[in-house]
Amino acid sequence: MILSNPPLHFSLPPSITMAAASATSTTSLSATFSSLSIHHHRRRKPPSLLPTPNSRPHFSPLLSHKLLPPPKSTPEAETTIYENEEDAMMMSIFSPPERPEDFVPPPSFDDGPMESEEEIARAYEELYGPAYSGETLLGNDVFVMDSKVKKVTGLGSSRNKDKKVRDGFEERVVQVRRVTKVVKGGKQLHFRAVVVVGDKQGNVGVGVGKAKEVVAAVQKSAVNARRNIITVPMTKYKTFPHRSEADYGAARVMLRPASPGTGVIAGGAVRIVLELAGVENALGKQLGSNNALNNARATVVAVQQMRQFSEVAEQRGIPMEELWK
Amino acid sequence: MTRRYWNINLEEMLEAGVHFGHGTRKWNPKMASYISAKRKGIHITNLTRTARFLSEACDLVFDAASRGKQFLIVGTKNKAADSVAWAAIKARCHCVNKKWLGGMLTNWSTTETRLHKFRDLRMEQKTGRLNRLPKRDAAMFKRQLSRLQTYLGGIKYMTGLPDIVIIIDQHEEYTALRECITLGIPTICLIDTNCDPDLADISIPANDDAISSIRLILNKLVFAICEGRSSYIRNP
Repeated sequence: MILSNPPLHFSLPPSITMAAASATSTTSLSATFSSLSIHHHRRRKPPSLLPTPNSRPHFSPLLSHKLLPPPKSTPEAETTIYENEEDAMMMSIFSPPERPEDFVPPPSFDDGPMESEEEIARAYEELYGPAYSGETLLGNDVFVMDSKVKKVTGLGSSRNKDKKVRDGFEERVVQVRRVTKVVKGGKQLHFRAVVVVGDKQGNVGVGVGKAKEVVAAVQKSAVNARRNIITVPMTKYKTFPHRSEADYGAARVMLRPASPGTGVIAGGAVRIVLELAGVENALGKQLGSNNALNNARATVVAVQQMRQFSEVAEQRGIPMEELWK
Repeated sequence: MTRRYWNINLEEMLEAGVHFGHGTRKWNPKMASYISAKRKGIHITNLTRTARFLSEACDLVFDAASRGKQFLIVGTKNKAADSVAWAAIKARCHCVNKKWLGGMLTNWSTTETRLHKFRDLRMEQKTGRLNRLPKRDAAMFKRQLSRLQTYLGGIKYMTGLPDIVIIIDQHEEYTALRECITLGIPTICLIDTNCDPDLADISIPANDDAISSIRLILNKLVFAICEGRSSYIRNP
């Protein structure tokens, strides 16, 4: 049985309501109503009944309740059985705008006159500039995109100097290890660098990169680190709001705030992450494994779990004084 | 978002066969709310939902075009390839109709290098330098040029990452969809009964097998883009 949907006005006269899923009813005005109990039509206009579904071949509906208000926004809306809801409300939820009188349906895209290549190119170039097309009809410079892309470089030196000072982040190498992949011909050596990137204002990121040369590995890991940057919630005395523990892999890290003047008391990777974040007073301990990369990641996770007092108070709807009791 | 009239005609959609889905056995249960019935072992999608989503997508696209955003249409099914190319030309958008190279968006810097090479090859071809080279080199360059033309021809005017991506078949263009998700680019996707509606931002449940249904939906979107563009030209 095909169930009708709530009426929607498209380009049909309002007295006819449409139902979907009637494949064979290509004759234009087709509406099939089945169970008249859930029967939605505009109360102001008379419904028109058309051939019932009995004449159809075997129909096995997949879901029995199909009368649904169209989902409001996202496709994940819950489906509910829709009974006796106000038509007015329905219309306010979804009603396609009416067809304006002088609306001319546009031609399909390949019906119109064929445009010559030049016209197409000209139109594109008007919109986007010559970009990479290699031909310019508006007198624009064809090689304009070259200056926008960073030069891939001549010899190494000129490029290295550019790289040093960039966008305010300081990089520090936590660990560089030589790793090996054994293949039939022997051992292939790579270097794996773990780098922490941070400005001292509360943004840090940890990155890994592998390459055959140490320098290249460090650069790759810096790029990676810049891609995953998090913010550290800090109080005005440059310490954490509260204790936190987190683990990543087998590394477990405990972080604890400290009073001003303490400095960062933590080992290895944890210390570097906290220093580059700008935290000045904290205590940290690596409780699980001593793996540098995993500990760095664990501190990041631990820091992400922290909340400022003001946030929590807002979320819970209670004044901050309550939280300190 | 302004809502306009997009001439979405349910009977037109029925004629084009937009409501047919894939076979019953291949469905994705997440599509349950968009399927209205089952007929001869094929799922039938709910056209009113489709119409609603299509009009929302058109509104979004119209809005974006009137702000001067860039679009990318991805459709690599060989049935749909020419209609995608036509649609993109008509709407003045970028398109990918041959294979979607992995990393086209996420590895944009490498794609840019290829585009540079494409442009340089074209320049050389135009200035006629290719004829002065020995035959073998010229043949190699021509081959490279034709390869770049098929894969990158549609995006040769693209200067950066697009703002909205329209994908024709989610099953087929899964890599493209994944890339857009990692980059955070909003996507409009044509979903069939065997696809996942949660991945794309606006998913239009429709038939992705029939050329007529793809063309219908592309028509509407292209019309919306054109309208948006013309309003952008009038007042930028």
